[in-house]
Amino acid sequence: MTLSRFFKPRLDPALVRRIVAWRRRQAPELAVDAAKLRWVVVDVESSGLNPYKDHLLSIGAVAIQDGQIRLDDGFETVLQQSHASDTANILVHGIGGQRQVAGEPPDFALTRFLEYCGKDPIIAFHAAFDKALIGRALNGVLGIDLASRWLDLVYLAPALLPEDKARCHDLDDWTACFGIVNQDRHNAVADALATAELFLALIQKARLRAMNQAIELIKQAEAQRWLEENLAKR
Amino acid sequence: MSQTATVPHSLLSATIEHLQHFAPFDRMAQEHLTYLVSHLHLGYYPKDAIILTPEQGVAQRFYVIKQGSVVGEQVDEGRGDEEGVNWQLVQGECFPLGALLAVRPVVSVYRAVEDTFCYEFRAEHFAELIRLSPAFSDFCTRRIANLLEQSTLVIQAQYSQKSNARQSLSTALSTLIRRQPVTCQPETSIHEALRTMQEQRIGSIAITDKHGKPAGMFTLADLLDKVALARADISQPIGTVMSTDLVTLAPQAFACEAAMAMARHGVHHVLIVDRLKLVGVISEKDLFALQRIGLTEISVAIHNATTIAALVPIGQDIRQLAHNLLAQGVSAEQLTQFIATLNDLLTQRIIALECGEAGLEGLEFCWLSLGSEGRYEQTLNTDQDNGIIFQVPPGGQAGQIRAALLPMAGRVNLALADCGFPLCKGNIMAGNPQWCLSLDEWDAKFAAWIQRGDAPVLLQATICFDFRPLYGATALAQELRARLHQKIRDNRMFLRHMVMNALENRPPLGVIRDFVVSDAEELPHSMDLKFNGITPFVDAARIYSLTAGLSETNTPRRLRGVCEQWRMEQKLIDAWIDAFFFIQLLRLRVHHQQREQGRPLSNRVDPDTLNDLDRRILKEAFRQARKLQALLERDFQF
Repeated sequence: MTLSRFFKPRLDPALVRRIVAWRRRQAPELAVDAAKLRWVVVDVESSGLNPYKDHLLSIGAVAIQDGQIRLDDGFETVLQQSHASDTANILVHGIGGQRQVAGEPPDFALTRFLEYCGKDPIIAFHAAFDKALIGRALNGVLGIDLASRWLDLVYLAPALLPEDKARCHDLDDWTACFGIVNQDRHNAVADALATAELFLALIQKARLRAMNQAIELIKQAEAQRWLEENLAKR
Repeated sequence: MSQTATVPHSLLSATIEHLQHFAPFDRMAQEHLTYLVSHLHLGYYPKDAIILTPEQGVAQRFYVIKQGSVVGEQVDEGRGDEEGVNWQLVQGECFPLGALLAVRPVVSVYRAVEDTFCYEFRAEHFAELIRLSPAFSDFCTRRIANLLEQSTLVIQAQYSQKSNARQSLSTALSTLIRRQPVTCQPETSIHEALRTMQEQRIGSIAITDKHGKPAGMFTLADLLDKVALARADISQPIGTVMSTDLVTLAPQAFACEAAMAMARHGVHHVLIVDRLKLVGVISEKDLFALQRIGLTEISVAIHNATTIAALVPIGQDIRQLAHNLLAQGVSAEQLTQFIATLNDLLTQRIIALECGEAGLEGLEFCWLSLGSEGRYEQTLNTDQDNGIIFQVPPGGQAGQIRAALLPMAGRVNLALADCGFPLCKGNIMAGNPQWCLSLDEWDAKFAAWIQRGDAPVLLQATICFDFRPLYGATALAQELRARLHQKIRDNRMFLRHMVMNALENRPPLGVIRDFVVSDAEELPHSMDLKFNGITPFVDAARIYSLTAGLSETNTPRRLRGVCEQWRMEQKLIDAWIDAFFFIQLLRLRVHHQQREQGRPLSNRVDPDTLNDLDRRILKEAFRQARKLQALLERDFQF
């Protein structure tokens, strides 16, 4: 199998080598204690609310390892845009027009992100949104797909805390259940950190139900999603 | 596979900013904070989770509470399932400093009291940060490192056992009742009830029937709503205006139940009723005293107090804070600073309140702190020592101004006594006309002392020469200080007298290096930690700094100040300061034990009641005092 099939010809050869190295990395075994695994917790900011149309503006991430959030294992990028998003949108995430245009070239930024993630499972709140935006960008710029398993806390949280489900709708509601304070809402890294803190709290809740393995958490969230989508259809 | 360590920039700055709300991070250089944050992990501990135990072996991590709170609990097998809450750590606080510094296991079990997130930092990085950052190192290390460290552990152990019941919200309400409830009967007139509240300085009164069964409650809030604004006739019975929707609990109920009941019913008092009879009233304030009382809370409370009565319980809070800090092993230096700062604020507030009522506008005067207060060295039994210095306007007479100031000064002295600062036995107080003097009168008094130089005069000089301005026209005190130093420079004989006087008071060490004790009335076989322990340091520091013309009054700061001028070795100075603080710490502990046992506070201690470690350090401290005295003798041979 030749790699050139996967890449657009104008990709920098140095990046190609790095992507090849990433491809060779092993995905971790997920049938292990969730607290032992490395997880990547991401949040993205975009030029709008439609993940299939709007652009990826920034990615923020922190890693969790051995059950702790590693501030020293974080990721942050603002992707270079050909033109800035509109004012109303800028007011949401606070990434100004100049910073958007002066951002990191997308091919470098996304390669770095791939290396940062490795093949480790990824956590997000409303993961579908992050997954679609990141997926489109990876596909469009590097011509590849992210191989990670995703765990969506928007489903895991109500699955583990059904009693709080009725009153919790967004990330702020759920983090408030554990007294988590977000210093800088709508900054991708700060939101990722709050999401990561929520996950640490959820791991403990899962333990109370004798759920320890990463794969169990992922499946629990997927089951909840199926449930909610099918209930919504009725 | 390993990632290069990177902290996203926005996360780095947000975390640093958050940490900078707390000591010692507020004082650390940016690069050291960056180092710290670059090695941080964030851990989560659900309510009741154990964070650290002695069994985990040598402490591996440094913790800063990001949010939530943690208790340190003494390990005490003998007590079985009894609740052993020792002290509570809240957002921004660090642990376990002692164990990390000494590279040993912790002595307490640290447990999350609520959902808690901690920043965590590996021991090797902790050691590196101690090396890099002076501010951090200063915060973490105490200088008589080894011995004192261990001694502190013992202190913590002792204190924590004592504070068990008081600090926990699972305390039975019966143990929180501070006094007999003040009550009246429904037939009592509003006027009479208000007078009782005024006399007892309370914000609420319980109304009971003749069997002691609670019938209602009347609070200051009711006074406004139902009496003042409603223009009620105050000769009416209190029963017509009292609140009758009462929240009552049994004495066995827990403090947390009272807190919840107050929150639920929106009331500030809970009546404690035992077999239909009112046995106590618990106010919101009593419950807050259970939480860890913080420096900021107290200073805000002082600032907001508009009456003397409101300041009285704050005096209590300050002592409670001192107790908590002692239990946490805070160094004597920081502890005495906290006490001095808060006492200053409290005193300043009292003076401001009394001045406001006295109508002293236009008078230029300054309240002086004297003695240990002047030196910022108050302990928990410090008497008042204060005075006033004032300016006589052209054409005015000192006597007239004194007459105007004395009533206010007398009221301040009494208010301070209410707040827990006993009146001075020697009557060295601003309310005494002898110590409420004009600049020239003070000057003349000092001049006369310096001329005489005999024993009674020297005693007063030791108290008064440590003056510092606390409130009002600071310039007057500065002027007096300048004049005093000039006089002393011109009259070296007086210094000689002071030295002789100081050398008469020898540290109580025998030839074979054991303690010399005496049989004082209050405690046989004892020695006086203040007179024999602290005073040699204080006296020597005063003499050196007066000679040097330093305006400092605080003993350690005086010692540090004269270090250069007298070409003393830094190591020597450090050892004296350490010794001084150790004796202070021991005094504070002794006072606390006495207070807990309801005994009068005294500086006397029987050395046989100290543990081996403390005896060793105390001997070393006395040896240092001796060394300092030897130097004093040599330097002032003239």
